[in-house]
Order: sequence, then structure tokens, then C-alpha cells
Amino acid sequence: MSSWKRQHPAAIFVSFLGSLKQLVITLIILFVFGQSAQGLPTPVLAGIFGVILLFALGGGFVSWWKFEYMLLPDELQVKQGLIVKRNRFIRRERVQSIDINAGPIQRIFGLVEVKIETAGGGSEPEFRLIALRRSEAEEIRVELLKKKQSRSFAGEISAGMDEALSDGWNVKKAAPDFKWKLSPGMLLMAAVTSSGVGIAATFAAAVISQVPQFLPDWLINIAVGWIIQSSIVYIGGFIVTVLLVAWLFTIISTVLKYGFFTVTKQGNDIHISRGVIETRQLTIHADRVHAVRIVTNLLRQPLGFCAVYVESAGGGTKDEDLSTILLPLCRRKQVVDLLQEIVPEYAFVPEYEGLPKESMRRYMIRLAVPALLAAAAAAYLIPYGYIAFLLPAAAGFIGYLQYKAAGISSEKDYLFIRSRSISLMEVFLPRRRIQDLEYSQNPLQRLDNLHTVHVSVLTTIIGKTFSLKHVSDEQREIYMKWYSYEERERLSSIETEPLAPDQE
Amino acid sequence: MNNAATSDLRPLPDQPLAAKTLRVWKIGAAAESLFLFLLPAGYWGSTFVWDLPMWPLYVSAGFFLLLALLNIFVIQTLKWRRWRYKVYENEVELMRGVFIVERVIIPMIRVQHVDTRQGPILRHYKLASVTISTAATIHEIPGLEMEKADELRDRIARLAREADPDE
Repeated sequence: MSSWKRQHPAAIFVSFLGSLKQLVITLIILFVFGQSAQGLPTPVLAGIFGVILLFALGGGFVSWWKFEYMLLPDELQVKQGLIVKRNRFIRRERVQSIDINAGPIQRIFGLVEVKIETAGGGSEPEFRLIALRRSEAEEIRVELLKKKQSRSFAGEISAGMDEALSDGWNVKKAAPDFKWKLSPGMLLMAAVTSSGVGIAATFAAAVISQVPQFLPDWLINIAVGWIIQSSIVYIGGFIVTVLLVAWLFTIISTVLKYGFFTVTKQGNDIHISRGVIETRQLTIHADRVHAVRIVTNLLRQPLGFCAVYVESAGGGTKDEDLSTILLPLCRRKQVVDLLQEIVPEYAFVPEYEGLPKESMRRYMIRLAVPALLAAAAAAYLIPYGYIAFLLPAAAGFIGYLQYKAAGISSEKDYLFIRSRSISLMEVFLPRRRIQDLEYSQNPLQRLDNLHTVHVSVLTTIIGKTFSLKHVSDEQREIYMKWYSYEERERLSSIETEPLAPDQE
Repeated sequence: MNNAATSDLRPLPDQPLAAKTLRVWKIGAAAESLFLFLLPAGYWGSTFVWDLPMWPLYVSAGFFLLLALLNIFVIQTLKWRRWRYKVYENEVELMRGVFIVERVIIPMIRVQHVDTRQGPILRHYKLASVTISTAATIHEIPGLEMEKADELRDRIARLAREADPDE
């Protein structure tokens, strides 16, 4: 166990392909310019390509050769680097989460990738071993996670229980305390109602608008003749095509991403495993969950569905805003029961207190004014541009919806904030996880005695701030006092007045 | 709704920054303003190369001069006057901002570390800034007399250490 080991040689290919992926844009630019500038003859180009490929392959080899690790009790030691040598010690106390993935290449060789996330804002809070046998990966996970459990719960969990927990890592069959699966029907529903459609539509529009360049001239001539006859049909057809393509694209990518989604709770660990092509496995400690976020997008709201995310120290991914998706789709009504099983301390059904009347106009004006300016410009510059005056009306309506959605409340030591940009978002925050509380007031808010409240929590790598715009003076005072540790100290020393916000 | 909350408002923090901080800020703002004049200077330079009218030079120079004066003499003063902090036993409160006024509460339990920092200008005026870091955010009290900054840093560090992590 305690000897220096290298990764599986497949690591060479993984890092080779990884660096190729990064080089692709460079290569394309080189190719395109090489063609159009006609400066470089083909052999030279081929030579450059060859050298780049050789370097990538050589780099992959060196990084495999010069990367050795040793698993010691409580610690993973790593030495790497050809010219600059680095030694790294990953202590189990610092490990936040361990994520085991299998990408397509790893799968060919039957290997996995291990991602270890450590605490603290170091320059590299994340550490990867890109090609390991599953048994080795499990060994690392057991060593770096199991003991921590016994340490942080020393005195609470007996030795036998501790063993049972650590066995849970090795023996997959150990029955979990709770298991939730995303059923195929729900997966399809999640895909169909995914809010990625907007982004994908933009992308698809860009791609489809480029298509005519690759079509033969005669086809374009026919098409243009037809378009001039029926421009509205064409534009309508274009939009429908774009949306359909985008929709299909998001459906497929969502299915691939969240297929076989399973959440299991075992002791104090939440295991999440998901993915069709690339399988991701993630383990988060329940007591590392710093906030729970419930997101209901516009398509899901009328159907009563939502997605649940957790903000945790470690484990978040970039494509999810550094959060971790806990439940990709479930009924809003069921959320409280599911949270009761997975993170019981967040199982609440909050009743939000709305914002004062003055804030309605702030929400509406804030969106309507830029839209009005844009519409005015459009009306001036484009024929029929006055149709754009529908835009400020729509913006005002969204502002009204935002006002209706906005709400805040507290229960015991938890703060609840509900807000809407387009999707409806609810955040549940325990007081002990809120790192600081801030109020701000801009000059327009000052006219109406409104404030914006910001609360910061620690998430993966960086902190995250949640805000609620346009709360009233009274609400500001209530939640300032709710958060203030000074105030609580004072009240508990007097012992006559109960905590103000909890008595609402 | 809640009469207690409206009648007895949470007091504003009352500790000002060191008076000399304002001078440091004015120097900083003046240095920043110099960059603004690069644009008219560039225009002036190009009048030697091309035949350009002179009035945009005077207009832009005048405008930037006004902006610079406003920034140095009005905005920095307002900013200094607004800046207040207060260190309680269980939390630190900061208030700042000229146009957007902010108030922050940082509980002692959440403070991860405190340090004092000094740039060359601050050092010249024997000032230092105190930086308070939580797990998620960093806040700065930007200018105090050195002894006071050191004393404040030690005091916050002590209070943060004493704060009961189990609440």
C-alpha cells in the first residue's frame, strides 16, 4: 500500500486528448488562416500540426511518468513535475469531497478519474488523478473519507458503527438509509422542460444562419426567390426550426447528463451518481451542506415541478454555478419529504412575507425603462419598429411577477428568501452558515425607504451571495436583528423579550 | 406588525476612520484622475499629425478636469464621512458607500482571520487597513492609525477566538 505508484498508462492518452481539446481552436485558426493567407505551403502546415501533436503526446507521457502517488494512512502524497518538482500532501482532514468519474476514454480501459476537493482557498483546491483502477480509487476514497467520519463524530458513533460505515464503502451492497431514483418518465419530463432551451436556441440560430454558405448556389437562388414571396413564412419557419433543434439538443444533453440519476443517503453521506456516457459519482457530507436552493423555471411552474440544488463546501461543478444538483426534477410538494430524508435540517415549508407596495414600482421600472429606451430606438430606426413598444409592457409584466414572487421569512435559525429573475428561486439558509449579512440602498431605493439584503455563504472554492431586492425598512430591521449575534446576546441576557422575528 | 423593530432601530456604527485617510484617498483619486487625461493628451498629440479642430481638446480636457476635481474634493470627502465601523463583542458592523450605502454585519464566530495591511502611501502617513476575512467574504476597514489598527486587529482576533463555535 505504502509505495510510490504511477497511474495506469492510459493516463497518457487521457491527458493527450485533453490537451488536444484545448488546442483544437488554435489548430482551426491555423488551418483557416493557413488556407486563406496562402502564405504557408501545405508541408509546412502539416509539419506544424505534427510538432504540436508530438508535443501533446510527449507532454502526456511526461506527466504520466513524472506523476507518482503514495497512499499512506490518513494521507495521500503526490510528487509530480519534470522541471519544477512539486510534492503535495493531501491530509484527510482537509478533504471536502471525492468525486469519481468515468469519461469515455477511461471507460475503454475500465478505469476511473478521481477528483479530490480540499478545503481552503488555496490556488488549487481541486486535485485530479485521471486514470486509476476502480479498486485503487475506492482505496483512496476509503482512506481519505472514512476516518474523517470517525473523527468528526468521535463520541457520537460507537466503534462498531464506525466499522459498519467504512464497510459501506467497500461493500456496495450495504443497504443505504434512503434511496431516490429519477424515473425514466421524470427524466424525460426534466429534459423536455429544461431551461437550457434559451441558450441552445441562440446557439442553434447562429449555426443555422450559417448553413446557406454551404449550400449550392442554385438552391439558394430558388430559396431566395421563394423567400421574397413569403418572407413571413420563412422567418416563422426559421424560428420554429431553431427552437425545435434547440429543444431536441437540450433534451438529448439533459438525458445524457441526468440519466440513471440516483441519490442515496448512508449515515451522514449523500452519494449522487448520474450520467449515461460520463458517469459521475459524488459524495457530500450532509453537514457540509450550507444552503438548499429550489429552482422552478417557467415551463415547470405550471406543472408543479422544480429542481433542488445544494450549496456545499466542495463538490460543486462549474456548469451548475458551483452548486450540486440534488434532485433534477421532483414535485414541489414532495420537496419537503425528500429533504426530510436527505438533509432533514432543511425540511421546511416556509411561508414568505411579501414586500411593501413601493417595491412593486421599483421592480417594474427597473426592467421597463431599459426596454422602453430600446423600443424608442427601434421605433426610430426600423420600419414597423413601433411594434417593439410591446417590449416595455412585457418587461413591466415580468417586473410585476418578480415583485409577486419576492418574499422573505425566518423560522427558528433559518432564513428563507424567494425571488425571481425569470425562474423562481427559493433559498433556505441556516443562520450558522451565513458568513455575513449586508444591506445596501441605492439613491432610488432611498426615495422609497427600500433596501437590498445580501447574505453570503461558503460554497465550492468561493463564497456565494444571495440577494433580495427592495425590502422595507421594517423588514431590514427585523432581519438585521434576526442575524445579529449581539442582539441575541443582549436578549438572552434580559430574558424577558422573545426573539423578535421568530414570533412573527 | 412588529412595533419593537420600528421604534428601536439598530444604532448606526459610530467609529470614523482616521482623519488622515481622507488625504490618502485624495492622493489616490488624483493619481487615478491622471489616467483620464490620457485621452485628451492623445488627441492633442494627433493634432500634430492630422489636421483636426481644437475644440474637442478643450471640451474633453475641461470635462475631465471637472470630473477629477469632483472626485478628489467632493466624492472622497463624502466617502470618508460615510465610512463608519463598530466592533461589538459578538460582531463587527461596517457602513460605507456614497451613492449606494451599505451596512454589513460580520459575526465574530464567522471571522476566520484578521490582518493589517499597509501600502506605501498609508505607511507614509502611519496608517494601516484592517482586513477581516470570513469563509466566504473579505471586508476591509481602509484606514486607521497604526497603533489603533494593530489594537483593533488583536481585539477582533481575540473576540473571534473567544466566540463559541457551537453557538
